[in-house]
Amino acid sequence: MHLPRLSLEVFRPRWSPRPEHGCVVLEKDKVFIADPTAREAGVRVGMKRGGVLTLSPHTVMYERDPLRENLMQREVAFALMRFSPMVALCEEATLVMDVTASLRLFGGIVRVCHYIREVVDAIGVTARMSTAPTGQGAWLLAKQRGTGGAGGAQRVLKMTSLERALGRLPFLAAPEVRAFSEWFTGLGCKTLSDIRRLPRAGLKRRCGVALLDTLDRAYGLAPELYEWLTVPPTFSARVELPDRVEHADAILFCARRLIVQLCGWLGAQQLALTHASIALEHERGRAAIAPTVIDLALAEPTWREDHLVRLLKERLGRTELAAAVIAVRLSVTQAQPAQPSTEALFPEPGGSVDDHNRLLELLVARLGVDNVLRPAPRADHRPEHANRWVPMHDARRAEAPPADLPRPTWLLEKPLPLMMKNDRPFYSSPLKLVSTGERIEGGWFDGASASRDYFVAQASDQSCYWIFRERPSSADADDTRWFLHGLFG
Amino acid sequence: MHALPEHVEDIHPALWRGSQLAANYGKTVDTGYAALSAELPGGGWPLGTLVELLVQQPGIGEVRLLRPALAALSQRTIALVMPPHLPNALGFGYLGIPLEQLMMLRAPKSADALWSAEQILKAGSCGALIFWQHPVRSESLRRLHLAAQSSETLFLMVRPLTCASDSSPATLRLGVRPAGDGIVVDVVKRRGPIRTETLSIALQPSPILLSPYGRIRRHAPAPSVARSISPALVT
Repeated sequence: MHLPRLSLEVFRPRWSPRPEHGCVVLEKDKVFIADPTAREAGVRVGMKRGGVLTLSPHTVMYERDPLRENLMQREVAFALMRFSPMVALCEEATLVMDVTASLRLFGGIVRVCHYIREVVDAIGVTARMSTAPTGQGAWLLAKQRGTGGAGGAQRVLKMTSLERALGRLPFLAAPEVRAFSEWFTGLGCKTLSDIRRLPRAGLKRRCGVALLDTLDRAYGLAPELYEWLTVPPTFSARVELPDRVEHADAILFCARRLIVQLCGWLGAQQLALTHASIALEHERGRAAIAPTVIDLALAEPTWREDHLVRLLKERLGRTELAAAVIAVRLSVTQAQPAQPSTEALFPEPGGSVDDHNRLLELLVARLGVDNVLRPAPRADHRPEHANRWVPMHDARRAEAPPADLPRPTWLLEKPLPLMMKNDRPFYSSPLKLVSTGERIEGGWFDGASASRDYFVAQASDQSCYWIFRERPSSADADDTRWFLHGLFG
Repeated sequence: MHALPEHVEDIHPALWRGSQLAANYGKTVDTGYAALSAELPGGGWPLGTLVELLVQQPGIGEVRLLRPALAALSQRTIALVMPPHLPNALGFGYLGIPLEQLMMLRAPKSADALWSAEQILKAGSCGALIFWQHPVRSESLRRLHLAAQSSETLFLMVRPLTCASDSSPATLRLGVRPAGDGIVVDVVKRRGPIRTETLSIALQPSPILLSPYGRIRRHAPAPSVARSISPALVT
């Protein structure tokens, strides 16, 4: 895979909004690469800084940054580790990856290429992909496809068709040949097949071993050795935003780029994420502002990109930014070995337990921990204390209530004082008591003492209410007060 | 031109006469009340579709009406979204609904509530979703109805009885009013003939919680009721 626009895209990833007047990247005061808007304005590769300023004075200019290019190349490589642990960084902004062992898992080479394309798009770089039975061959094909050369098949799977495709390539594709390009042109060579037809012994004497080795590796005549990328034991990635961002939602794009890398890292190590934190670094004003940290705690360890992105989206939607954000850092604080899901022969209609846990996480992320509740009743006689609802993943356990205690389905948050009419409690119509009383007295130990007689009352439209009469605390107080406390759903 | 067959409904299982109940109705879960099941197409609450329960006011027996169905679906979670009052866990336990399967969602905004309901339906991992929301726009109803069709969740929306005259994409709409020892159900909309007369259903368990002979004493003034508990019970 070749990243032809890497030096531009380290500054402006593909998902970032295009600057109005284009942008160019300069190397040694000469234009190295220009985006389409700048090219339309007349900027050409190799032009000097002054020339660019004359043609379009508002064009954004960046100095080429090989260090950042290298970092970005590594980012792409980590993201690709989801598909195969064998990913190597090569010269000239290229990556080589061995997917032979993963073809069956992902369902064929076309599918793999499709998935890789999605990942690369999420990171925000342009990529040219090609496949070949040899790494060097794929390298040459990917490098050459965009430069308007032989075109050629994007996916070459057989050795014979690889030989044909390579033979059509102009010889400038191979870096070792470039030093001798004038000499080869003088010989009348145009393509790689022309060079291969030259006598080997003479080539070796004049051009050295490196050239022949490259060609042999490309044609599968010599073994290939790559320095596969090793996975770091911890994950912490940082990305700088192209512009300052005021809204948390807008960070999602760049957070996706981090999550894609994270998934690659998890996939390579076969880990599942349980805890991660995202720090949003703020612009420095007069005083440094501490970064806003969002903690992602997962009840169910996951390594799936879509779930993480959805969770983060809901969390970011609720986050208020103290200041503009200039960079985002994602670090894994806890991970554990991934457990592949067990597939049932006959799947249940409701989906697996994991699906349900993912749903709960999503709901918690949007509504907040305190709004996704489960019942955990307490052993208490006072109904409002016995009815306790706790957050879903709270450790507090339900104390088993007596099974046959008759209780209404709904409780009012606060008992509603009832009017009295003709010595009867009144709630939209006079209420008549239809059951014997249940005396509840408790709470003297925690300061919220209650001493009540509960009755079921029926209104004139036949609906039933659970009402109570507060027992007067002293003997001489005789104004009994009635309250509505529950409804029979 | 061919004459129509005598039984038009035999042409295709999805076809039914206006005077019949729809036969091919997807999955249903029994209501537990024989009189009501007989009036519903498919013989029970339909799964994977929007069902509207139009109640005169919350707390007139709507949960007891659903009790047998909820108990049958309680292998999976039962989600209560935006309940009108605080659900009493002990009350649900008394109705025989396992507490560990209950989940309550409260949403700060109605958009959040609609979003949550849609996510629950899309995930399809809950056995039943009961959603209280008023007012709700008809686009939202249609959206939820569509989301419900991809799942096998019993999806009930509880709305006020005054909404009965509004149009709705729901396939089944029932009006519920309180009555003597249960409720009266009006079938507002169903796949079948129009039913004008109401259906009265005795609900179990009765809300008159204590003492089977409490009704005899209901005309007695309240203090005497309190004192009427036999000394053996008090001590």
